[in-house]
Amino acid sequence: MIKTIASRIWAFFKSFQLTIVLLALLMCLVVLCTLAQVEMGTAGAVNAYMRSFFVWRHVAALPFPLPIFPGGALVGLLLTINLIAKTLDIKLIWPRAGMWLIHAGLVILFAGEFVAGMMQVDTNMSIEVGQTVNYVQSYKDMELAVIDVTDPAWDEVYSVPDTLLAKGGSIAIPGTPITLNVKRYFPNAELATLIPGSAPSLATAGVGVNASVVEIPVVSADNEMNQTSAFVEPVAGGRSYGVWLTSVALGAPQSFTHEGRTYALSMRLRRQYLPYAFTLKQFRHDVYPGTDIPKNFSSLVQVVNPSQKESREVLIYMNQPLRYEGKTFYQASFGKNDTLSILSVVENPGWLLPYVSCVLVSLGLLVHFAIVLRRSLKRRQDQKES
Amino acid sequence: MGVGLLSLALGCRSDQVSHYRVPKEVAATHPDHPGHASEGMPSQGMPSGPDAAANVPPPPTPKGSLKWSLPKGWSELPGGGMRFATFKTPVSGKVEATVVVLPGAAGGELPNVNRWRGQIGLPPLDEAGLAKARTVLKTKAGALNVYDFTSDGQVKSRMVVGYVTTPDGNTWFLKLTGDAEPVAKAKSDFMTILGSIRLD
Repeated sequence: MIKTIASRIWAFFKSFQLTIVLLALLMCLVVLCTLAQVEMGTAGAVNAYMRSFFVWRHVAALPFPLPIFPGGALVGLLLTINLIAKTLDIKLIWPRAGMWLIHAGLVILFAGEFVAGMMQVDTNMSIEVGQTVNYVQSYKDMELAVIDVTDPAWDEVYSVPDTLLAKGGSIAIPGTPITLNVKRYFPNAELATLIPGSAPSLATAGVGVNASVVEIPVVSADNEMNQTSAFVEPVAGGRSYGVWLTSVALGAPQSFTHEGRTYALSMRLRRQYLPYAFTLKQFRHDVYPGTDIPKNFSSLVQVVNPSQKESREVLIYMNQPLRYEGKTFYQASFGKNDTLSILSVVENPGWLLPYVSCVLVSLGLLVHFAIVLRRSLKRRQDQKES
Repeated sequence: MGVGLLSLALGCRSDQVSHYRVPKEVAATHPDHPGHASEGMPSQGMPSGPDAAANVPPPPTPKGSLKWSLPKGWSELPGGGMRFATFKTPVSGKVEATVVVLPGAAGGELPNVNRWRGQIGLPPLDEAGLAKARTVLKTKAGALNVYDFTSDGQVKSRMVVGYVTTPDGNTWFLKLTGDAEPVAKAKSDFMTILGSIRLD
């Protein structure tokens, strides 16, 4: 009985019909995901359709979202199982060695996409000519940085992620006497100067006293950024330092001093500090003579890594990224009248897998071709002899 | 496999306060970028740095706003970003007319003029050169300084800019930019707009 069920499941997973259905689902997902990019932006649509096990939708009558379509991760997982089942079905004999290699290569390609989907981190480094930058920053995620700026040489940065701010309540900053009381958090907001006669601001200190904050819907398109804002009250040693408005829309950080130490508050894109730094020495934006058509973008950076006693110049240009310490830096964009270069930074622990896959599939095809050729030549020889 | 990787990935996403000790940041210095006001330049969807916005959020409409009259064929589009307004010109070709308002002195007149000159590849001016290049236009909003620069090269770029500080301390730039030929065609109408400005 159990054997029958097991063999049925096995037959289901290795069936060619399953492959066809899954490939059809994948095609639908590609179309849906492409259309969704208009509303959600590239990253938002890819996360919602491709890198999730189900596509979720809110139905008006229900308080929770419902899965309405299998997501790319689920279809990919089933396709991988289908492929593995088919591979194991191939006889383990020499004439089938090519088929084994090809199938193994495809399984690795699928595994590579899973690793990328689950573990790839996309950030960017925006760096001005002459500037030295030792961090990469997120495209969307925010942080409230509480920075102890007292030391003339060093900054002690305490990063409070937006996900923690969204929960509200009190947040103790470890290593400091400060506790932040989150009064209100806005994932996206519009700030304006307070009009006389309107309700006073929640802020009692800093520039927020004169600002009105209106919550607006969160944006996810590629060219839009949420103006994440929060009213926070730093409390230290039993004393409140007032309620401050912190927002991405506010430029310069605001600060308060507690027992001789000055702390700055700054809402900004979430940073990841690096043990090395890049200095942009030159940015080039060449155009074809007499036109505005770009010919080449390149950034000449000085990479300084004290732990490796390394200091060298690297030229990063289109299709020629720098791979360094597990991260890949691509020339992505520029701004500020060609004095700002933006490098997109990708960290993918599985970046080698597609290459391994390509080698295996190519090798498999060659082996298979050689085997078939040899068999065919042998057959012709046999025919001649007979 | 996927579920295992998913849990691993979720585990990596920190929801804790983290601490770093970092050397103090040194900002890049650009004499041609006063206050780094990017002035409606494409921001590439990038974050505003510590210098991109002023300390106080910009008001929806500045107090002591400027008004102008548009010649026939011209229309006004609402601004976006740091632009207060954009003018649609009847002239075809690469030409654009914009109005930008910045709080305070916006870095000063000479650095701004030199920044504009830099945008079309011209060398910076000194105070004496600035005074030479300036034409003063009397308007109801006060004296308006007008600059007209044309670049060198095969395809010449031209820029006509009106620069005025309103009594509330804000600085206004009214710019006509583009290829030299369409700019030349649109200039007389643009000068009429500059001459018509008044306080609201």
